[in-house]
Order: sequence, then C-alpha cells, then structure tokens
Amino acid sequence: CQKELEENPQAVNAEDFYNTAEEVETAVNAIYTPLRITMFPNYIATLECQSDWLYGRGSWDPLSQYQGLNDANVTRVSGFWDVFYRSIRNANLVIQKAPLGTSISVEDVNRFVAEAKFLRAFCYFQLVRNWGGVPLRNENNMLEPNLPKSSVEDVYQFILADLLEAESNLPTTQADGGRPTVWAAKTLLGDVYLQLGQYEQAEAKASEVMATGNFSLVKIANKEDFQQQLYGPDIQTTSEEIFSFKYARLPDQGNYILWISNHPSTKLFSFDGAYAVHGYATNPNYINQDEADIRKQLWDKIDFGLGPNTLVSSKYVDQKAISQTGAGNDQPIYRYAEVLLLYAEANCRIQHAVTTEAMEALNQVHRRAYGLDPKIPSDIDLKLADYTAETFIDRIIQERGYEFVYEGKRWLELKRTGKVDELISYGKGKTVAEKHLLWPIPVSEMNYNKALDPKVDQNPGY
Amino acid sequence: GQETMRQAVTMKGTNITLADAFSLLKKQTGLTVFYGNQLLNDQERISFDFHNQQLQEVLAVLLKDKPLKYELRRNQVIVLSKITVPANPLISQQQSISGQVSDKNGPITGVSIRVKGTNRGTATDANGRYTIQAATGEILVFSLLGYTVQEQTVGTGPTLNVVLTENIQEIDEVVVIGYGTVRKSDLTGSVAQVKAKEINAFPNANVLQSLSGRAPGVQIRQASGAPGPSMSVRIRGGNSIQGSNEPLYVIDGFPIQGSPTQVNNSEIESVEILKDASATAIYGSRGANGVVLITTKSGKAGKTKVDFETSFSTQRLVRKLDLMNAREYALFYNEQAKNDGVNPYFTDEQINTFGEGFDWQDFVFKTAPLSNTALNISGGNEKTVFSFGGSIFSQDGIIEGSDYKRYSVQTRINHKISDKFRAELSGTLSKLGTYRKDSEGGNRGNSLMSAAISSPPILTPYNDDGTYRVLHTSYPFMATDLRNPINYINEQSNVTKANVALLNASIIYDITPDLFLKVAGGIENRDDRQDEYTTTKFYNSIGSASIKTTQFTSLLNENTLNYSKTFHEVHQLNAVLGFTYQDFKTTFVSASGTGFLSDDFYTGNLSAADVPGIPSSGYAKSALVSFLGRVNYTYNDKYLFTASLRRDGSSRYSDGDKWGYFPSAAFAWRAFNEPFLKDISFMSDLKLRTSWGLTGSQAIDPYTTLNLLEPGKTIFNDDYAGTFSPSTELPAPLKWETTEQFDVGLDVGFLNNRLSFSADYYVKNTRDLLSRVLLPSSMGYTSTTQNIGKIQNRGFELGLDAKVLNGPFNWDINTNISFNRNKVVKLSEGDDLLRDNINMLVVNDATGILREGRPVGQFWGYVEDGYDDTGNIRYKDLNGDGTISAADKTYIGNANPKFIFGFNSIMQYKDFELNLFFQGSYGNDIFNASSISNTMDYGFGLNMPKEVLNDHWSPENTDAKYPKISKSVSVRASDRFVEDGSYIRLKNIMLSYRLPIQRFGLSWLQNLQVYVSGQNLWTGTKYSWWDPETNFQLDQNSYPLAKSFTFGLRAGF
Repeated sequence: CQKELEENPQAVNAEDFYNTAEEVETAVNAIYTPLRITMFPNYIATLECQSDWLYGRGSWDPLSQYQGLNDANVTRVSGFWDVFYRSIRNANLVIQKAPLGTSISVEDVNRFVAEAKFLRAFCYFQLVRNWGGVPLRNENNMLEPNLPKSSVEDVYQFILADLLEAESNLPTTQADGGRPTVWAAKTLLGDVYLQLGQYEQAEAKASEVMATGNFSLVKIANKEDFQQQLYGPDIQTTSEEIFSFKYARLPDQGNYILWISNHPSTKLFSFDGAYAVHGYATNPNYINQDEADIRKQLWDKIDFGLGPNTLVSSKYVDQKAISQTGAGNDQPIYRYAEVLLLYAEANCRIQHAVTTEAMEALNQVHRRAYGLDPKIPSDIDLKLADYTAETFIDRIIQERGYEFVYEGKRWLELKRTGKVDELISYGKGKTVAEKHLLWPIPVSEMNYNKALDPKVDQNPGY
Repeated sequence: GQETMRQAVTMKGTNITLADAFSLLKKQTGLTVFYGNQLLNDQERISFDFHNQQLQEVLAVLLKDKPLKYELRRNQVIVLSKITVPANPLISQQQSISGQVSDKNGPITGVSIRVKGTNRGTATDANGRYTIQAATGEILVFSLLGYTVQEQTVGTGPTLNVVLTENIQEIDEVVVIGYGTVRKSDLTGSVAQVKAKEINAFPNANVLQSLSGRAPGVQIRQASGAPGPSMSVRIRGGNSIQGSNEPLYVIDGFPIQGSPTQVNNSEIESVEILKDASATAIYGSRGANGVVLITTKSGKAGKTKVDFETSFSTQRLVRKLDLMNAREYALFYNEQAKNDGVNPYFTDEQINTFGEGFDWQDFVFKTAPLSNTALNISGGNEKTVFSFGGSIFSQDGIIEGSDYKRYSVQTRINHKISDKFRAELSGTLSKLGTYRKDSEGGNRGNSLMSAAISSPPILTPYNDDGTYRVLHTSYPFMATDLRNPINYINEQSNVTKANVALLNASIIYDITPDLFLKVAGGIENRDDRQDEYTTTKFYNSIGSASIKTTQFTSLLNENTLNYSKTFHEVHQLNAVLGFTYQDFKTTFVSASGTGFLSDDFYTGNLSAADVPGIPSSGYAKSALVSFLGRVNYTYNDKYLFTASLRRDGSSRYSDGDKWGYFPSAAFAWRAFNEPFLKDISFMSDLKLRTSWGLTGSQAIDPYTTLNLLEPGKTIFNDDYAGTFSPSTELPAPLKWETTEQFDVGLDVGFLNNRLSFSADYYVKNTRDLLSRVLLPSSMGYTSTTQNIGKIQNRGFELGLDAKVLNGPFNWDINTNISFNRNKVVKLSEGDDLLRDNINMLVVNDATGILREGRPVGQFWGYVEDGYDDTGNIRYKDLNGDGTISAADKTYIGNANPKFIFGFNSIMQYKDFELNLFFQGSYGNDIFNASSISNTMDYGFGLNMPKEVLNDHWSPENTDAKYPKISKSVSVRASDRFVEDGSYIRLKNIMLSYRLPIQRFGLSWLQNLQVYVSGQNLWTGTKYSWWDPETNFQLDQNSYPLAKSFTFGLRAGF
C-alpha cells in the first residue's frame, strides 16, 4: 500500500534542480517573467499619469489629481510591489542555488549570479524610489516572513553592492538580446549614483559607456522612423539599446503598452487601445515644444469625449500585433540617449558650469529629434553661451521630458530633481499633496509581515 | 393502485389450488399476494385460462363465489375474508366474538384489539387467538406495530378471523447507506431519501437540480442559468474554506469524481443524502461534506415492464430588467455631460426622435426549447433481473447558440449463478455535448452578459450594410470595452463534448446464509474535448482556436464481507468489513493557434494558424487505500447501535500524514416500541437518535505538498526562452482536514403516520482546516496552506410529511426547513483574510472577509452616509481619522440564509393530480456587483435601469437613491450593493391527467398520463437584478435563469 501512496509527478522538484548551467539559466529567465507581461507597461503608465505631461483617464485619473492614491490605484501599485518582489525572489533563488549546483562551472555561476543581481538591484531601485524604505529580501532571509523595513540608505547600499558585482561579472555582449551587459550595469549604476547625488561616479559610469563606442543614437528622418526604427515592432535591437524588455508577436508575449496608449481610430495598433493615459494640446510643455521637433508628431489630436485638444500618443505602434498582449515592440529601459543626458547633467553638476562635452551630449539628443545626424553640429544646436549651469540643468530636464515621454521616467525624475511642485504646477496647474510622493505599502505586506508596524512603517497619508 | 389493477395478465391453470394460482400471479405481475393460510381451502381446485385480462377481472374470477375479498395496498394484493354485513344493523346485542389473527406466516401474538369508540380491548395469545365482547355493527380495530392497522365490522357470526398485513410503508422503505442498505426504521443516522417520483417531477438536466428543496439540511442551487448542470450543493453548510464543499457522489456504489451529470433522472430509483457522521464516516476522508448516494433502477422478476416518458418545454428569461429606452438614455447622458462640463452629446431634436430604441435584452435572450425523452425496460425471472434504458435530453439555452445535449444508456443486471454465487453489473454510458455562450462576469459590456444590459438602446446590432456595428466607437463617450453582443453570439464558440462511462461489476459469494463476500471492480472514465474558436469576424480578431482534451480515469476495487443474523429473535446483528482501493488519473493536452486566413479552418487545422500557441499537457495521479468496518446491533427493535471505522491512506498528503482514522458511533431508541407508549393512540412512531463521528476532506489537489517548479516562457531577441520557477504558493506539509459532527434527531409519527416529523440538531466542528495563510508579498510567495483554522456549523432541520386528506380527494404535503449557522472559530494567528475580490474598474476591492467569530460569507465594505452638497456619495468615517480608507470598512451583510425551505403539495382527485412545489431562502444577502457598472459607472455610455434616471441626486432631489450622474462620483464597495437575497419561488407547478385507457380498450397499454407544468413561473423577492437563486452571495453578470412551460407524457406498457 505504501508504494501506491507515493507521489510521482511528471514535473521537476526544486530539490533536484539548479544543478546544470541549463537549469540555472531557466531559473534566471524566470526573473524576467513577472516583470514583463502587463506589469511593466502598467507601471510605466502609472508613473506617466503623475508626470507633468500626461493625464490618466477613468480609473487612472486620480493619479493625475496628485491627492494621493485612491483604492483602485492603491490596488494597482500593490500589484507592482508583488511583482517586483516575485522577481526578487526568483533572483534570490538563483543567487542562493547556483553556487551549490553539482555540474556547473564557476564562470557560469558568476555570470548567472551577476545577471540575477543586476535584476534584483533594478527591482529594488524601482521599489525604493516609489515606496522609500522597504524590506530587503536577499538570498538568506527570503523565507523569513517577518522582516523589518530597511532604511532608504541601506536599500541603496544594497543596490550598489549588487550592481558593482554585476558590473564586474557581466559580459560585454550577450548573445540573447534582452540580457544585461556590463554596459547595462554601468548605466544603471550611473542612474543610481545620479539619484544619490554622487555625480563623479555617475559621470564616470556614463563616460565608460560612451567611451566604448558601441552605442550611438538611431538616425531619424521622420515620425515613422521613430515609430519603426527606434520603438518599432519589427526591429530586434538598435545601436541605441542598452537595456530593454523584449517582446514579440507571440501569444501573451507582446508589449501591453500599445493597448494602454493607442486609440482605435488611428488603426496604429491592430487591437484597438484604451488611450488610458493621454495628453492635452493645452499643456504648456506641448505648446512650447518646437513644431520642428519630430517627437511632437508622435501625438494625434483625437476627441474621444474630452474635447478637441485631447492628445493620444502614437509612439508605440504595431499594425500586425496578434492580440492585446501580442505587440512586438520592445520596451526600452535604458537607451543611449539617457546615457548622454545622464552624462551631461552629472558633468554640469560637478563642474557647476556648462562644458563643451556636456553640451555636445545634450545636442546629440536634440539634433536627432530634428531629424539631423546626431554627431554633426547644426543650426539648431544649443549654444554654450546661452546657458548657465542652472538653466542648462533645466534644459536637460526639459529635453528628458520630450525624449522619454511614455517611457516611465518623468515622475521619478521630477522627484529626484526636486521639481515636482514647480513643474506639475507649470504643466498642469495642480498642487501635489505630500502623501502623493510615496505609494502606500500594500495591505498584502503590512497585514502579514509582523515586523512592520502600520503606525510607524506605513508611508505618510495612508 | 389503479394502474396496477388494470395491468394485463396472461396465465393458465388446470385443477390447481388458489394458493398456486396466486403464486402464478406473482410470477406474472410481480405482485405479492398476502393471505392467511386458513383462509384458503386447500382442497378446492380451480381451472382458468386468462389472456391479457386485467388484474381486477382475474382476481374477480379467482375469488368468485368464495368468502373472500381483496384489497390492494402499495402494489400488494391482500386477500381478506369477506364479512357479510348484517341485513339489519339495528340488532346491537353484545356477543362474544373470537377468532385468530395471523399474517402470511401464521398466527401472531400481541395484536391489540379494541372496539372502536369504547374502552373494551384485548390482545391475541400465543396462538394468535382472541375473544372480545362486541355487538354486530361495532368495529374492531386490530393493531400491531409493523402491521397495517385493520378495522373489521362485527357481523352476525361469532367468529372473526383476521389477516394482518405487514406495514408496507415500513417494509418498503429500505434506505441505501454506504456499503449496504438498512430498513428506514433501523436507521441510526441522519439520512434523507428522495424518491423517483420527486426526482422526475419536472424536466431537469441533472439529478441535483431535482433535489433542490426536497431534503432538509441540503442547500442546492443552480450556479448559472446556462444550459446543462452547474450546481452548488451544501449539506449542512460549508466546512472548508480552501477545498471543495461539494459532497461525495456515489452511483450504485461507485464514488465518482465531481458531479453526477451522466445519469438521466428517469433512470434513478432513489437518492439518499447522508448527512450526519454516523452515515458519512464510512466514507472516511471524503465524507465531510456529506455523501449523496444515487441508486439506479433495477428490474423485478415477472412481466417485462416498459416505461416511456417524453416532455417538451419552452424556456425564456426569468425576468427582464427595466432598462432605459433610447430617449431616456439620451436624456441621461446629456445630464452626465452637463454635470461633467462637456457639451451635450445629443440635441433636443435627436432626443425627440429616439423613442423606445432597441431592446438588447430581447435581442440576446430568446425563447428556447428543451426536450427530454426516456425509455426504460425492465423485468426478469428468478435467476436474472434486468433494467436498461436510454434517454435523450436536449436543452437549448435562452441565448442563441448555447445548448446542452445528453444521450445516455443505462443498464443494470443481477444474475444468480448458483445457490452460492450472484453477479451484478451496472453501467452508464453517456455522451454529453454543450455549446456554451456564457461569456460571463466582466464589466462595461466586455462580456456577453454585461453587454446584454449595457448596450445603448440608441444603437442597433447591425449597420445598414448588414455588418456588425461597432458600438464603442459609435459615440466618443462609449466604454472602450463595450462589445456588440452579436460578436459573442455569432462569432465565438466554445464546445465541449464528453464521453462518460461508469461501469461497476461484482461477484457475490454467499458463504453461509448469514455471510457473504462481495468483490467489486469499477471503472469511471471521462474523455472530453473542448474546442474554442473566435472567428475573424469577431471585433478585432484575427481568428483564434484552441483545443483541449482531458482524460480522466478512476479505477475502483472494493472487497466487503457482510454478516447479518438475528439471535434469540431479539438480537439483530449486521456487520460489514472491507478493503478498498481507488485511484484517479487525469491527463490533458491542449493546443492553440491565432491568425487564420479563413474561418473554415475552425478548430480542424491548428497548423493553419499564423502564430501557433505553445502546446501544453498535464498529468496528475492520486490513490486512496482504505479499510472499513461497521457494526449495527439492534436489541428487541428498540435499541439500535451503530459503530463504524474507516482508515484511509491518501497519496495527496505529506509523508507521515497520509493515513487518517475516521470513527463514528450512533445510538437510536425506538421509544414507540416501549410498552408505556403503546397506548398513546394518536402516536404511531417515536424514535430518538444521536450520533458522533469524524470525517475528512480531500481538500487538496495531488502534488500540493511538493515543491514543484512551474515551466514558463519568456522572450529574448524575438524568441521564446524557457523558465522554471516556484509558484506563488509556498508548499508546506499537510494533513487531513477533519470534521467532527454531533447530531441528535427525533422521528415522530402521528395518526398512523398520517403526520410525521423528523427533526435534527447538529454541530459540526472542522479542525486542522486547510487554510490559506497569506504571506507578506515581499517574500515573493503570496500564500501557503496550513492545517490551521477551525470552522463551526450548527443547525436545526425539520421535515414534515402530512397526508392531509385521504380518500377520493387525496392531499399530501411534504415540507422542510433548515437553519444553519456558520462561524469561523480560528484562523492563522487570528489574521483576517480578505476575499471575493471584484474588479469592476470603478470598484476594485475585496467584498468579503474571513474573521474569527464571523461567518464564512461575511460581506465587508464601506457604509454610505447620504450625499454631500455636490451629489457625491459620503462614506462613514468609522475610525474617525478624517479620511476614508480601508480602515473604514466594516460588516455590511451576510451571504448565509437564516433558513432555507421547500414545500411540496400533491393533490389528487380521481385521475387528476395537481402538484405545487415551492422553494426558497430567507435572510441571505447578495453582493450585487453586476449593478456596479450598470447603476454607478457613469460616463461610459452604458445602459442602466430606468430607476437611475428617475431617482438620482440633483439639487431638487437630494435624498435620491443614486448620486449625481457624473464620472467623478467615487464608488466604493459599500452597503449600497448589498441586497436582500431572500426569495420564495414556485419551482414547479404541474397538472396531470391519467387517461382512462381501459375505456379505449387499449389492453396493451398499462397507463398513460399527460401533464402540463411550469418551472420558476413565480418568484417573490426584493432582489433587484435578474435572479437571486443563481447569484447566491456574489452577482457578477452570470447567465440568467429561465422560466419554462412543459408539456409531457408518461406511459407504461
């Protein structure tokens, strides 16, 4: 009888896994899964609703009111928390198990652990900027239910430690597009240093990436080039790509942001679209954008009930998508344009002056937006003489707004640069409640992590 | 009675005794003839030759010129001595009357004889003899427990011999219990029996539908109005929060997987519902939710019987919602536009021309036919009896294109191989097929059900060129998700076809007359295939197809020893001892593809898809090994004891916790058999019962305790890459969930059982509850399962049967009422568990809470507090912190009914019968999530009930039911959506007529009955949406129920 009661599933058991390079690789791949599908596009959309440019519609609208999150959005961001931590768990498993593998080389272990640490740091970087201090789950405490919050500083120390290890062990190129290289690690490090105000290190990391010569801005002649050559569904990679989430026209493996951004009448996405996050032609940022800036053409005026000045983005298009979640467009996380602007800002903040190098970096992004060769000086170039260090920083912030719209960068940038009040008031005429600056730690954490005290550990206003 | 008397008899006899004639008659008709031996003259010989003559004629000939008469009771012929009534009844001289009282086996002692209306009484002696003083014309009443009370008028002679018949009601009512049967009077546990007649009262896709409202303590409801069965059954409340609360179903001894969908109702002889632990503990680890035993018809030796029945019904939507017409719709949305500061969508001129507009409910919900036809043939001889039947059940849904069809064949054969060996075979083979149109749930019109009420009455389904109108782009304010229902109706199909076989064979070896061994083997096999296809004509579709086939097999081996003996006439012992093995294996394969050049491919050629999906397959196997034993001991028909023990080993639980013991004990006292209760003349039965026992629940799936990794896919470059990771559920060691149940019950009969009550009180405590323990989401795991909680159900249930009127006008009433109270006693660390999340876009929240001390089914939400000055909803700030947050949520309702009830009335007059069946639920709340989109989600062009237009907030109407019509209204999961779900429903009303076929001279026909009936014709409820029955607890746009009219015919040959 005892034999009849044994369970013999046709499946793999965790106890017998993580032994070979092939097995560990599938475990590394599993770190990407929670992040990519629907979650990341929703995360980007949520951040964009809070930018000085874009507006949420329907259930997203309260985000654009800046009075804190309502139930629907509390639930929504709680989903992000869950997913970031699920990726962190999958990363922790790799970091914990790979070194114990019975048939795996040290090189493979190092490479996979570096990739896991890069992704773990990436997740914590999102968490710390949106929630502040959070519980730091690593490979050693991953099964301890009750774990107190770490301070913001400790989280950043943890991120830096992970990234420094990733930087030293990641390869310079990856056969699989979508995996981080050493350059991705340096860029992310640069962004973290910039966030921390450690401008020397930020500049150094950006410089290292620029110095390789491996990357260059994609040349653009018109709006369609932006849509197809930079963000398009058919391209595999670009000279500008540093780190992207990869999507494909395969069932439930496509980029969901097309559904969020598009409007059915444009037919730019073969599966309609919810135009959940949109713009207004009355927004001063839009009004002030030069008509010759091709990026401005990535907006269509469509009146869907909110008036004739309503703008719908046409940045992400795929007319051959196979479903709502079946668009082929990759999601850029770090592009070379960001490295250039990161360098320009860090450099300026170190020098307290505008240098030729910083101006050139900004101008490359600027020229490309006008359809010009990024590397060749032109009439529209911004002139060194026109800027002070302060106005130059503002100009970079403005350029980032134009360049990275709908990429989920803006709100975090406003918070980093302390421009939230100023620019939200300027762009949308809204004042931002303090509670709006940090998202609430979700009930799914607060209620079940006994090391957290809701009175002390919850973010202000919730 | 009538049809029995008319059944045709063909038999021949030459110079035989009357007794032999009666035994021939028994072979012919299956009717037992009872008579006292001394009544018949064994010297007298008779001869006859009957050809297709009616039984009543045959009996008349046989008894002609003899001092005998006969009565027919419950299909048994009782032969009695004919008493000649005195010519002159005025003579009233008392005289000594004496005689002998006997039954078919001879004289009986202890029969009480009373002269009706007097104090005179006596009893029979050891030889069955008695003497009493009585006058001619007075009535003697002969009674003895277990026998039908008989009244005899005193004639002129001094001798009055009486033959008592055993109380057929008690003899007949054999109740099926686990691994055996028992006389109803010998039951110690709580078992409800539902007979064929009630099961077949009206056409139903499933036996469970027929049981609704029939048995106390059993809550059965249809979970959806979609054709085919989708039933929810709760016996004495739910025990489990993680696992299934559905009972175990056993068909002819085979414990099946899931619901008994394969058997046609006409093939069912009886259904027994085992409720208390004494009855269910013999099923051990699967008994906690109660056990439903289904017994199919078996044949009887004698004349071959042919039964045929057919019925035809038309069904339509049980109730329409009173939605706005086109003009009202336009006014409504203009108001929303005004309130939200946008230009009006419609001009006055447009509004005036809109009128009624288009009725989408009428468009989606149609009148649909349902038909049911069944034929059963049964008969046999002393060696072999058989029953086989076939049926076709065909139901179209009230949404075009949805249906359910079942073809089934049922066989049961019992054969006597020799004196020592018997063999049995029972089997069902069914083919099920269903087309589903139940795109349910959803919001803002993104499912068929939601679209049926959300679609704007100002728009029609088709454009002028006949193409499908795209609703959501017709006006800029329409919800992006709103789909024209025609898409779902015409361009999306979901078909499931299944072959279900259930076969059970056994050999019985009679070791001694008291002891037999039964070895049984059975197979349950279910192969199904589901084909889904969305055509390229569906809005925004490039065509997508998927196929899934599932194979389920369960093998069963049961070996039982049964012992039954009576010692010294008063000690009755029954015992069963057994070993069983059952395994369960499920495999599936699925494949899909999207992007088709032509819809002609349908699901016939997945390789034609532009983008093939990733095929998947699955495998799961589990086994259950059991030892079981039960002893029933009865002393002197007064004290009844039952004890049982089952030991189950299940593969699903962790090593070391695979085995569980499930004992039970019960005691019953037939107090009526005590001498001191004998003389209470109005009482005819009294039994007290009590029981205790443990049962378990297989609440987890195979492999739940193993740390398995799930495969997946992600993308690098543009290609798939494989992933392996744990799920979000952290595996942990698990053992049985155990339910301890205590029951006390009482059965009382009055006035010769014309009135009988059965009452039970029970307490069920479920411990080691498999509960989902939520983990901090930062662990990456969201939950784990532990044996941690406790739940209690306690309740009271009452059944009442009354024969209100007896005679030419016959009126029977059966009614039952059940009260169950449910409470969560303990949860992991006392943590609340929020559950029943709804996502209706404007509200995305949990609606229920599991909390210690509160029932399962507790609604949880905000409390509204009128409107503010701008017409927005005010919510009560219950914690007083100045803001409205999740901390202001509280108890806002309870899904558990205070009581449920069923009421059945059968009135017969001559050949007419009127049957009324009511069923209902009182005191339960429903969270009406369906109404969130369609009464509160303004600004997306959804149609709404007229009430929202007529009674919403405006400066002139501040005390309105609905707030200001504006997009900015903040809607929360509040008490607004909690409605009283009480209802009383006329489940069935039937008028039938038995045709006087003998008058037509149709001797080949035994009986013919025609009937008309109506189902769900009337419902009394305050519930505002489609239906309170199908939407128990949470109403979220489910397929609505139908009401129907039926015409049917039943015939016997």
